[in-house]
Amino acid sequence: QATDEGAELPDYSRKGADTCFQCHDDQATLAVFRTKHAMPQDPNSPFGHGQLQCEACHGPAGDHAGRVRRGQERPAILAFGSMSTTSIADQNAYCAACHDADTGFAWHGSAHDDNTVACSDCHTMHNERDPVLATSTQAEVCFDCHQQQRTQSMKPYAHPVRQGKMACTSCHSPHGDTTERLLAGSTVNGTCYDCHAELRGPYLWEHAPVTEDCNSCHNPHGSTQPGMLSMRAPMLCQSCHSQDGHPSVPQDAGGLASNIPSALLLGQSCLNCHDQVHGSNHPSGSKLMR
Amino acid sequence: TSDWTCESCPFEQGYRAEIDAGATNVSDEAARFGNYTGYDEDGAYADVDGHGSYVNDGYRLDWTVEDLGLDSRVVELSMGKQGVFEFRAGYRELPFRRFDTSSTIFSRAADGTLTLPAGWIPASTTNQMTQLGSSLQQRVVGTDRQIVDVGADWKPAEMFRLFADFRRQTRDGIDISSAGSYTQAAFLPRWVDHETDQVDAGVQYRSDAVSLTLAYYGSFFTNQNPSLTWETPFLTVPGATTLRAAREPDNDFSQISLAGKYRMAAGNTVVAFLVASGRGEQNADFVPYTINPDVVTTALPGTSLDAEVNTVNYSFTVTSRPISKLRVKYGYRYDERDNKTPISDWDRVIVDALSSGEIEQNVPYSYDRAHMTVSGEYAFTNKFRLAAGYEWKQINRDYQEVAEQTTELGWGQVRWRPTTWLDLRAKGGASRRGIDRYNETTAISLGQNPLMRKYNLAYRYREFGEVVAAISPAELPLSFSTSVLFADDDYQESLVGLNGAEEFRITADLSWAVSDNASIYLVYGQDKIDAHQTGAEQFGFWDWSAFHEDDFDHVGVGMSWRPTDGKFDFSLDYNRGNGETRIALDSLSGGPSSLPDLESTLDSANVKASYAFSERWSGTFHLRYERFELKDWALVSQTTLPTILTLGAQPYDYDVYAVGIGIRYRFGDGEITLAE
Repeated sequence: QATDEGAELPDYSRKGADTCFQCHDDQATLAVFRTKHAMPQDPNSPFGHGQLQCEACHGPAGDHAGRVRRGQERPAILAFGSMSTTSIADQNAYCAACHDADTGFAWHGSAHDDNTVACSDCHTMHNERDPVLATSTQAEVCFDCHQQQRTQSMKPYAHPVRQGKMACTSCHSPHGDTTERLLAGSTVNGTCYDCHAELRGPYLWEHAPVTEDCNSCHNPHGSTQPGMLSMRAPMLCQSCHSQDGHPSVPQDAGGLASNIPSALLLGQSCLNCHDQVHGSNHPSGSKLMR
Repeated sequence: TSDWTCESCPFEQGYRAEIDAGATNVSDEAARFGNYTGYDEDGAYADVDGHGSYVNDGYRLDWTVEDLGLDSRVVELSMGKQGVFEFRAGYRELPFRRFDTSSTIFSRAADGTLTLPAGWIPASTTNQMTQLGSSLQQRVVGTDRQIVDVGADWKPAEMFRLFADFRRQTRDGIDISSAGSYTQAAFLPRWVDHETDQVDAGVQYRSDAVSLTLAYYGSFFTNQNPSLTWETPFLTVPGATTLRAAREPDNDFSQISLAGKYRMAAGNTVVAFLVASGRGEQNADFVPYTINPDVVTTALPGTSLDAEVNTVNYSFTVTSRPISKLRVKYGYRYDERDNKTPISDWDRVIVDALSSGEIEQNVPYSYDRAHMTVSGEYAFTNKFRLAAGYEWKQINRDYQEVAEQTTELGWGQVRWRPTTWLDLRAKGGASRRGIDRYNETTAISLGQNPLMRKYNLAYRYREFGEVVAAISPAELPLSFSTSVLFADDDYQESLVGLNGAEEFRITADLSWAVSDNASIYLVYGQDKIDAHQTGAEQFGFWDWSAFHEDDFDHVGVGMSWRPTDGKFDFSLDYNRGNGETRIALDSLSGGPSSLPDLESTLDSANVKASYAFSERWSGTFHLRYERFELKDWALVSQTTLPTILTLGAQPYDYDVYAVGIGIRYRFGDGEITLAE
């Protein structure tokens, strides 16, 4: 916040942004004027009336803008990014001074906070269009650190992240949440139901693990198996089901099309008959077939 | 500073936009190429992309359009007075294209029934269906999702913000259902018509120390096709020629939540909490036990289920830095799903063919889950930090083999930054998931082999570790980072079921800023998942086992180049993904056997280029290339399986180019110049 007391501090520049632009007049810097940070009519904007302009984010620049002797290194101001000498805590504190409430209630102690992620690691403030705020470009920003998830997104069965049609924030709250994995919903299933509301139920006949955790069977970041399943059916089903009769029979190469084709192996395997694995609302649907 | 006016600041005023219009030609028809992109047909596509803004005296309007000519189009708009109010609206389409090599004998009648071709002669097996070949009609399997959203923010006072968002999602198209007719089953093209309305609304209070948000979330799902009726192509018992299944019932869910945080001056401490209470209801009309008039049943217990699930979520977190070098955290979270659905007696009619004579009761599953975390980090120096944590999680479940499951996890982490260009992080830990007991009586009542240990309920010991390194030499325009992760799950007490699983991931990223105008990157990733399971053909000890090896490799390379004059802009991205799944079985009855490898290979390239002819006009070019090949033995023809009539979808195998050219026009100022 700009204050009269602030005006008396010797370490602010004499003329604010007018001082800064005497040197920093490149297009990349000036692009901040195409962002919401440079809206003079918004009193909370860094360029709002009475605010500290460039120094609202970059800190007092009196020494930086002052005269230096020949050969003397110009004192640094607060810079953002991984190469900055300013600690990440200090960088983030400048952002939080205005955006504390915008980051929700759970930034402190979140995975990103714990791992000292800087706001500027994800956000580019001088960019007219911050890539992390657009669905089509967000994942590339996240993948800079979450490289394993980038690999998974390239698997043949995955959500449309690599196509730029789904953002990581569709499921995750990068500013923190008390859920595991910073999920946007109350739980794993609560997050999935946001797009897959048809599976919410409650059904008359429920499939117990389905009601608890979609991740019991699905890998949401991508899988080599259809339906983003974590294992090929029928073996996935046989990891839990060993009823007497057909569920217990090993489905080996003898059941392939070239041998004696097995309805328990080919097509949709167990789902050839038990199609309603997410639950059934049929009065006689206890076997999840109807 | 309060007198600063900034005479040289080039504040934005007026209209500015950039619009791309062009045409793209797609070389071939491939459903999967069009999956999520909209390029599923061959031929020409017109397309428009763009973005713009209008700023005037504190009011601001921003808009974006993407892929306007495609089935993946996006339109977004926001407008308002910054810091006071904002209105936003959006429209988004998402095409899901699954198969275009699928074909079916079924047609859809006006009442939604899937009917057989006229004069169809039912048969016991698919290869006895004499009219099958001549009756198949190609049917693309895929759905389209449309999302409309509107929302607003309003700050009536400095400390308050009100927000409300409404979103309507519709999904329509054709999906695959497989439904049995006693001993046979048919893959059905199922027409989908779903609609979900969602509301997020609330009020937020914020001050320097306190932030509180009171919010409402509502979800209202409607299915226009709550049942599926079809004529079976198989020979069946009298009266069971037409069958019916229920589909996803309408459901509602509402939740009220209060979340907040309080920043205490003492010890640099932040306290955060969340309390949420929700209720889900499902009261869709039942379909009858059977539509076969020859099957006698009792009356349904009701016309609908009157199902209700209550949810509770609350959490509490304290993060504190009592001294500058020490940071500690405590968190507790509780989630509950309390299924209040009434339990009733139900007849069991087997696929409209016959009554089993059994009376069954529905099982309303409930659970609660508590999760406690404690962690701390100590910075010995600016370059070296040590962290450790402990987690405890307990899940209580109703009606399942395990009533109480407790997981304890311990971890440690070292972070070392010996120089400004090297950052190392290593984390490792172990967890033990114990159970009160595996109730074999419950397992037997569910028809399960009492030795089976379901993997989500079973005892599990897990070890995991991860190492991450980032190298960014200040004097070189290079940066390199790599990560290695392993996780080893051991289900030591599972005689039948999943016995173990190991995952190993490795990544490496290299980027090189060749000059101020050009950069190159190279990325690599590998994900290996191995699993081992046992099964038993009879109740008793295991007599077969299966080993799974699931490998995936990804290589990506790309570059961007923009010469100094700023007229030419070029980027290239190439990705290759290679997946391979090997499954080997060994059984007492059949001996060792291996299933053929399941393989996928993706080659994907994107080239984008533009050239500015003038300050406002540019020409654009883009190339999207994709080759994908899948080997999957499960995808079989309509007649491969005697008792399963599939849609005959073939494994993907395509090689498609999409080449486009266009023009770009820029409205408003391009270069930003300081005010005089």
